[in-house]
Amino acid sequence: MHEPSLNRRGLLKVGLLGGALLAGGGLLSRTLSASADGAASRFFVLRDSDLPMLRRLTPLLLEGSTAPSDMPQVVQTTLVSLDLGLHHLSPALLSQVRQLFDVLSLPLTRGPLSGIWSGWEVASDDQIRAFLQRWQNSSLALLRQGHASLLQMILMAWYASPAAWAHCGYPGPPKV
Amino acid sequence: MPVPDLFAAGLARGWTTYDGSRLEDDLTLEADVAIVGSGAGGATSAEVLSAAGYKVLLIEEGPLRTSSDFDMQEARAYRSLYQEAIGRTSKDGAITILQGRAVGGTTLVNWTSSFRTPPQTLQHWASEHGVSGLSVEALQPWFERIEQRLGIAPWAVPPNANNAVLQRGCESLGQHWAVIPRNVRGCWNLGYCGMGCPTNAKQSMLVTSIPALLDKGGALLYLARAERLLMQGEQVVGLDCLGMDDRCVEPNGQRIRVVARHYILAGGGINTPALLLRSQAPDPHQRVGKRTFLHLTNFSAAQFDERIDAFSGAPQSIYSDHFQWRDGIAGPAGYKLEVPPIHPALAATLLGDFGPENAQRMAELPHTHAMIALQRDGFHPDSAEGTVELRSDGSPVLDYRMTDYAWNGVRRAFLSMAEIQFAAGARAVLPLHADAHYVRTPRAARELIEGLDLALYRTRLGSAHVMGGCAMGDDPRQAVTDSLGRHHQLANLSIHDGSLFPTSIGANPQLSIYALCAKLATELGDRLQKS
Repeated sequence: MHEPSLNRRGLLKVGLLGGALLAGGGLLSRTLSASADGAASRFFVLRDSDLPMLRRLTPLLLEGSTAPSDMPQVVQTTLVSLDLGLHHLSPALLSQVRQLFDVLSLPLTRGPLSGIWSGWEVASDDQIRAFLQRWQNSSLALLRQGHASLLQMILMAWYASPAAWAHCGYPGPPKV
Repeated sequence: MPVPDLFAAGLARGWTTYDGSRLEDDLTLEADVAIVGSGAGGATSAEVLSAAGYKVLLIEEGPLRTSSDFDMQEARAYRSLYQEAIGRTSKDGAITILQGRAVGGTTLVNWTSSFRTPPQTLQHWASEHGVSGLSVEALQPWFERIEQRLGIAPWAVPPNANNAVLQRGCESLGQHWAVIPRNVRGCWNLGYCGMGCPTNAKQSMLVTSIPALLDKGGALLYLARAERLLMQGEQVVGLDCLGMDDRCVEPNGQRIRVVARHYILAGGGINTPALLLRSQAPDPHQRVGKRTFLHLTNFSAAQFDERIDAFSGAPQSIYSDHFQWRDGIAGPAGYKLEVPPIHPALAATLLGDFGPENAQRMAELPHTHAMIALQRDGFHPDSAEGTVELRSDGSPVLDYRMTDYAWNGVRRAFLSMAEIQFAAGARAVLPLHADAHYVRTPRAARELIEGLDLALYRTRLGSAHVMGGCAMGDDPRQAVTDSLGRHHQLANLSIHDGSLFPTSIGANPQLSIYALCAKLATELGDRLQKS
């Protein structure tokens, strides 16, 4: 079930390191990303530091649901929708989401935990798919949870948008 | 012609309401009875007690949204009408928990299924959990009264295609199925019950008991979080509430002190035990928050040649109890089979995978059927159960622990659902699990399901029915309240909601909550008269 290239020892190493890094996740997000605490312009919640990861991940997750030429607009719509949803989360859940985004975005944790060593902007699609598969099959429950959350948040944000409905044959709500 | 907004009309007539997000100063409110939570338990109790002549204050953490706000958009409904903006999950994040959080509570967003508490469940409570006075005969008049009050009757319109699959499949296999009673009047058969009924056809608390309370001069405080009970000896002497911002995310700094003769907690499973835990209410036997149940739900999707349009039409009208009691009340896990409505945002997260595979599954949405199995948890010693805990900020979270017994029920439910879907003519079936794919024959489905690694996160799990956590029962060592809903340690505190249930119900719980709480509130009213 695991990728052939990820042998058990490799997973274990990542697992132990990952555990230590995640345990310090709260601290990390406070110390290393202090500059990114404020929301990015035109967003309520999403920070500048979250955007490179989300802008690479979103088109990959939504591939096939829209014409490639529309993808930039689809990504923007999805992020606006995601941001509005996050803006209504309880503080406890929002801080979990922020820690997840931090772990994926801060250079110190991103490489060892996601395998995206040289930054999201330059990561290939295959590297991102490998990251997703690695998290889905991780020995660490937190990474498996992170994988499930990322997929659910982004897919839900897009398909809640009327622009997504033509693809799935949904006529939208009836008139009352 | 636009649908009249009954609630807005009542407000215009001068109903007494307080919006916790718009207070300019701290506030003190007095009442005979203060009730925390405006869902099935709280609002029913409020109607009964105000009709009996008491001054009732009903307190709701969530916002006030009425029919003219219900635009049937998933995103808006989820973020404004559900607990934690639909982000509520079990502590490990593996089980999505759907609970309402708005004036009307979960009754605002449930799918209207209204079952009497099964006799087997009531008998089990009496024999195993020290519950007295809740026999089938004792509850019958209360069920009848609520069924009349809320227009509950078996759905007389033909089921939508999504429900018809369940009916057809069970019929062809010789398995039990029946029509679901729904609490609706003049239903338009739209399919959007989960996003707030835009036509006021659903007889939720928003259009029934809460208006009745307000017409009697009762008061409603919303966007106010019940933070802490104040206690002296065996008495509750006050309730501190926090005004919330208009998104219901953070307290806005205003405080509301509530003083009443009697207090009723009706925030539902998770929130009621949490208020007791935050208040450090006496709990000598450590029962608060324990034995919380979910009707843990797994899903099976299927594709049909014909259109199913599972987003359209009354969401739940057919059920099967074929597997519910078959192996005895406390044998291998029993489950109820129903169908969920499928709108695109929720469907995208349920159908799984990502990229082209997810896109392909989504493209088939109009031809996609979905079925759910609700596990009857809490009856067997090896059943999965949950415990309510507080996070560091005082907000609650449910630690629900799966067991081999529970996973066995999930696996058998996957098999049952696939068999029924094929029997109804499905061209392909997909158990909702990360390692599954659409398979085209019953045999392939069996092989797939028997080989699935049933683990958290890989298996899509949900719950729309949180029950237990403040069990009733006459033995204080086992239960938080007695069989009349009276707190075992605090004299003027009662609990009237689904958290009272010693096990899950084995049926969608709203009617169980209404009937039980109508009975408890009536008896409470009589006691208050005498004291």
